Amino acid sequence: MSTILGALVMLFIISAIFAPSSVSKGAVLGMLPFAAVLAIIGLGQTLVVQQGGIDLSVAGSVSLTVVFVTKLPDQKDNRLLYAVAVAFIVSLIAGLLNGILVSRLGINPIVATLGMSSLLYAVMMIVSLGISHRTTVLLNNISSNLTLGIPNSIYFAIGAVIVTTLFLKMSVAGRRFEGIGANARAGRTAGLAVKRHQTSAYILAQLLYCLGGVLLGGILTQPTAYQGDSLVLPSVATVVLGGTSLLGGRGFPAASAVAAIFLSQLDQFVLSLKVPYAVRTLVTAMALLVGIALYSVNWGLVKKKILSALREKKVGEISHG
Amino acid sequence: MTRNKSRVLKVASSIGIAAMLFASSVSIAATSSAAAKPSWCGPKKITMAFTDGFGGNSWRLVTTASGKAEAALCPSVTKFYYADGQGSTSKSISDVKGFVAKGVNAIVVFADAANAMLPALTAAYKAGVVTVPYRVTVGGKVGVNYSAYVGTDFAGAGKNWADWALKNLPAGGNVLFLSGPAGNSQGVEEAKGFWKVMASHPEFKKIGAQPFEATNWDPALTQKVLTAAIAANPKIDLILSDFGPSLVGALDAAVKTGWKVPAIATSDGNVLGCFWQDNHATQPNFKMMTVSTQNDHARLAIDWAIAKATGGKLPGTVYPSYIFEDSVSGKPSAVQCRKDLPGDVYLSAKMSGDDQAKLGK
Repeated sequence: MSTILGALVMLFIISAIFAPSSVSKGAVLGMLPFAAVLAIIGLGQTLVVQQGGIDLSVAGSVSLTVVFVTKLPDQKDNRLLYAVAVAFIVSLIAGLLNGILVSRLGINPIVATLGMSSLLYAVMMIVSLGISHRTTVLLNNISSNLTLGIPNSIYFAIGAVIVTTLFLKMSVAGRRFEGIGANARAGRTAGLAVKRHQTSAYILAQLLYCLGGVLLGGILTQPTAYQGDSLVLPSVATVVLGGTSLLGGRGFPAASAVAAIFLSQLDQFVLSLKVPYAVRTLVTAMALLVGIALYSVNWGLVKKKILSALREKKVGEISHG
Repeated sequence: MTRNKSRVLKVASSIGIAAMLFASSVSIAATSSAAAKPSWCGPKKITMAFTDGFGGNSWRLVTTASGKAEAALCPSVTKFYYADGQGSTSKSISDVKGFVAKGVNAIVVFADAANAMLPALTAAYKAGVVTVPYRVTVGGKVGVNYSAYVGTDFAGAGKNWADWALKNLPAGGNVLFLSGPAGNSQGVEEAKGFWKVMASHPEFKKIGAQPFEATNWDPALTQKVLTAAIAANPKIDLILSDFGPSLVGALDAAVKTGWKVPAIATSDGNVLGCFWQDNHATQPNFKMMTVSTQNDHARLAIDWAIAKATGGKLPGTVYPSYIFEDSVSGKPSAVQCRKDLPGDVYLSAKMSGDDQAKLGK
């Protein structure tokens, strides 16, 4: 957590020096709603990754949710609740299916969730033919209006982080969940319902994607029917940057959420840099490389190696002298 | 018996009346189709196909339906097939090959996969099929790899925007251009067309990435890009965009922060027209001009292919850029908004907004 928080502070300092407009009030207020959506979706991905899985159905799930909450109400506020309910029910079913495919049938999560994504896209095409619709005024206000100077979607993200963290760290079920993620075999030996916990990860993840999709449907006044496409890789990136191992084990929901802000600010920073498109892409790649290296490289070992190499060199010089 | 006889008479007379009605309706149909038969529709009977690289959005849906409606104007076309590549290059290629194997006489291709489609198109052309790629360049040569390329004048759109800007922003100003994916040829051509006119008008200045800010025509990315651009450039006087409807979310969000919408030159879409109607009273600088979003480009490609295959009169091969709305002059049209129709209906298309709305139902 401190690593990604440090990286975020550093990014804001670098932004302020090299692209001051990217930390202006307008830019930050514009960035935060997208960060909130990515944070919520990243939380879902964190839960799945914790169980040693990965969920690529983010694309289909978010796209379908956005279509549901914009098409079904047809710009009528009083039909919004019904649309949101439909979206959540469908997500619940999708999550359950994902969970069964992976934990009960033992299908590789990449294959199972990719298939689920296509299935959800098929439903989306049946519902909308790929035609997008204008969002309702109510949903737009709920997700983009400011309360106490902060976009509402941020409060949803904070709520989701708190609930997820309390569940994982304070509840018995959460501790079991984390334990099974760390070592499913030990969990099974201890008599825990491993498959049920793994399935629940996919279900909870889908519900979080759905929440993210509902907010996104409100933030974008006229979304497309493919809005989830660009969120798959960032959702995995938030998990990695947040320090949760892709091999499963302990999960860090709050760190994933901070990583979502990091990624969103990084976007805003490179967009505000007055450099050509190619250089922007390079800057993004470099920043991600540094971010991931912070975790994956054993810096203690690197330091030790460098020191010992220096020492050997010195010894060599002395003996030659 | 008499009852039966009278029934027979009744049946016979009603059959007679029906036959007369039928004959008259046929002759009406025949005369109307003869009268409406366009010059590009020749006498030879053909079957044809229309393929899309990606068909899953409203713009494509309207474009496909327009193409189909156009082909229906020519009675010589006995069958019209359609296939959607669904964003997959390999499916798009096998769609083309499949129709050639089926024996169609003409094929019109929206080659999203660009040069990757060239071998399949060349094979179709060599097999004697009238092959017409349109809108996206595929490399190769007319008469060697395909029968004709029906393109559009993207630079013409840039020129139309520039001419309008010169008239409506006499003091010049800072120009931000938003287009699709980085390096897309449409955006590059439009930028060339715009700045060619502006070469002698240094009062218009480029801001943002050049030749354009890449948005992938995605509303989410457009919103991020515009937020960054607004923060970095306190003074934006003109926004150019080649997909107007994708701007609306970004503009909506910016207006909420108190930002003043500048002049916009773009392409049309119902949602954008409605945004202008809702906001122009409170936004004094918000003048708007749109060029047609060109759903009817497909019609010209279809016309050409049918003309070539049926022996009709060949139309031109360049679809021009038309000005559609102008909020200042009201010519050729004032800004249009149909609140009762979905946001992504294109009122510049020949197909009516109501008919477009039905496509999505």
